[in-house]
Amino acid sequence: MGTATGIIKALNSGIKHIALKRFTLRYPEEKLKFVGDGYQFDPTTGVGIAGLKGRHMLFHDHCTGCQLCSIACEGVAEAIGMVKVPEEWKQNKKSIMPQIDYGKCVFCGLCVDACPFYALYMTNDYELSSFSKEGLIYTPAQLQVKPTVAQDSEIQISARGATHG
Amino acid sequence: MSSPTLPPGLAIQKADERIMTLNVGPQHPGSGHMRIIVQIDGDYIVACDPDPGYVHRGEEKMAEYRNYVLNIPHLERPVIHDSCNILYPYVLGAEELLGLEVPERAKYIRVIASELNRCVYTQYWLAIYGIFLGHSTMFMWPAGDRELLIDLLEKMTGARVTHSYFVPGGIRNDLPANFEDVCLRQVNYFEKRIKEYADVFYENPILISRTEKTGILSREKAIGLGTTGSVLRASGVDYDVRKKEPYDVYDELDFETNVMKSGDSYARSRIPWLDMMESCRIIRDALQKMPKSGSVRVKLKPNPKGALGSVYKRVESGRGALGCYIISDKKPEPYRVKLSVPSFRNLIALPQLLIGEKLGNMPSVYWSLNYWPVEADR
Repeated sequence: MGTATGIIKALNSGIKHIALKRFTLRYPEEKLKFVGDGYQFDPTTGVGIAGLKGRHMLFHDHCTGCQLCSIACEGVAEAIGMVKVPEEWKQNKKSIMPQIDYGKCVFCGLCVDACPFYALYMTNDYELSSFSKEGLIYTPAQLQVKPTVAQDSEIQISARGATHG
Repeated sequence: MSSPTLPPGLAIQKADERIMTLNVGPQHPGSGHMRIIVQIDGDYIVACDPDPGYVHRGEEKMAEYRNYVLNIPHLERPVIHDSCNILYPYVLGAEELLGLEVPERAKYIRVIASELNRCVYTQYWLAIYGIFLGHSTMFMWPAGDRELLIDLLEKMTGARVTHSYFVPGGIRNDLPANFEDVCLRQVNYFEKRIKEYADVFYENPILISRTEKTGILSREKAIGLGTTGSVLRASGVDYDVRKKEPYDVYDELDFETNVMKSGDSYARSRIPWLDMMESCRIIRDALQKMPKSGSVRVKLKPNPKGALGSVYKRVESGRGALGCYIISDKKPEPYRVKLSVPSFRNLIALPQLLIGEKLGNMPSVYWSLNYWPVEADR
């Protein structure tokens, strides 16, 4: 193949892309849709449930203050600390619950695997940026809130190329 | 200046005025901090000394203080784009030491995740290769098409790059509902897309003239220096761990290895691209042969203790054969974990490849070795 033919072929391949749809996700306006409500774990079978590993969600009525999540995190990121909460639960005599520092968390989800009481799950919320380091520390009260996520964009493939529709 | 009192052999030689020493790096050349000291005569390289070690993290020492499961998040950090493959030998070794039998479905899902990850890594590598050669289109296309597979991995594992998906005894979670159809559709489209790279990049006469017959590594030298992966296969040696020592279910899957004879930069850059097409074939085959239901993970006791002994396991990663040697002394933590990484072994070839080349060819020869500084330093 001659040099001129090769260059024309390369240019032609690029020109074909003018007719293709744009693949780029326009992030703040469009948000990618994930499967499920986030990563969860079933301690009876020992297998997780597929989902995005985003911000955690803590169920105060299940947490016993056993510190297993904190112990698991010690070997990974040291992001979980146990703090005193002004609440009284029958199953949580010591009144301690995990507080998560998202400046340190690596989102591996091993704390969710460690929880035997269905108290700690992960959610689809990944927009955690903050202007201060303190803003990244989520107290048990903040972790209790279920995030509101508006994520609806999915990859769609047609004859005119793939796009985030 | 030579001193008259010294014997002739020990006298200090005055350096040639023509030779200039140049430090290339240690700023970020695409993937991690790494320096190449080159001596140039005009435009030609006369000596080269690669200097890795700027991103040493002590992964192997860290692995001695954590138990077999908690080692997973940090052991995948050296190559976050290929995180399933760097965990693979560790997980296989840990399973043998802990005496775990992996369910059949988990083995197939592991193979799918590992092949998707290989494509994600190769696409990133190809994007950087394009930008090293000043080919901006080849930076944009792989970086965009990579998103198709990252989306699949995100659905499977819940994270875009650092998946922490493989654990001793299987995988963390089962596939989401309707995953097979989505995977097949996106992998087919991905394969169609990468075939378009031929016109714009691999058969582009400008690329061929820049990379052909540069940095030639002969078959004998490739074997003698102990290179692996795409570098070895580009020099005409048909060696792939997936074929030679099949792990998990690779012996049941239908695929071929790609070998090229010339051993130049062009062959080394083309082999990973051909491997991606084989990966698409493996994924389709595995999706078909996979058991449709069943367990994916063996339930582990907390702090499982390894049996006394040692184990060495190898897998084929995106860069070459990746080995992991684990010694256990009946404690929850391994006594020693040694990673034998392909990047470091491929780097040894660099000084021999660069001598006599033009300085302008250095980025293309360096990056064609499929070298990842962070992995080499561990």
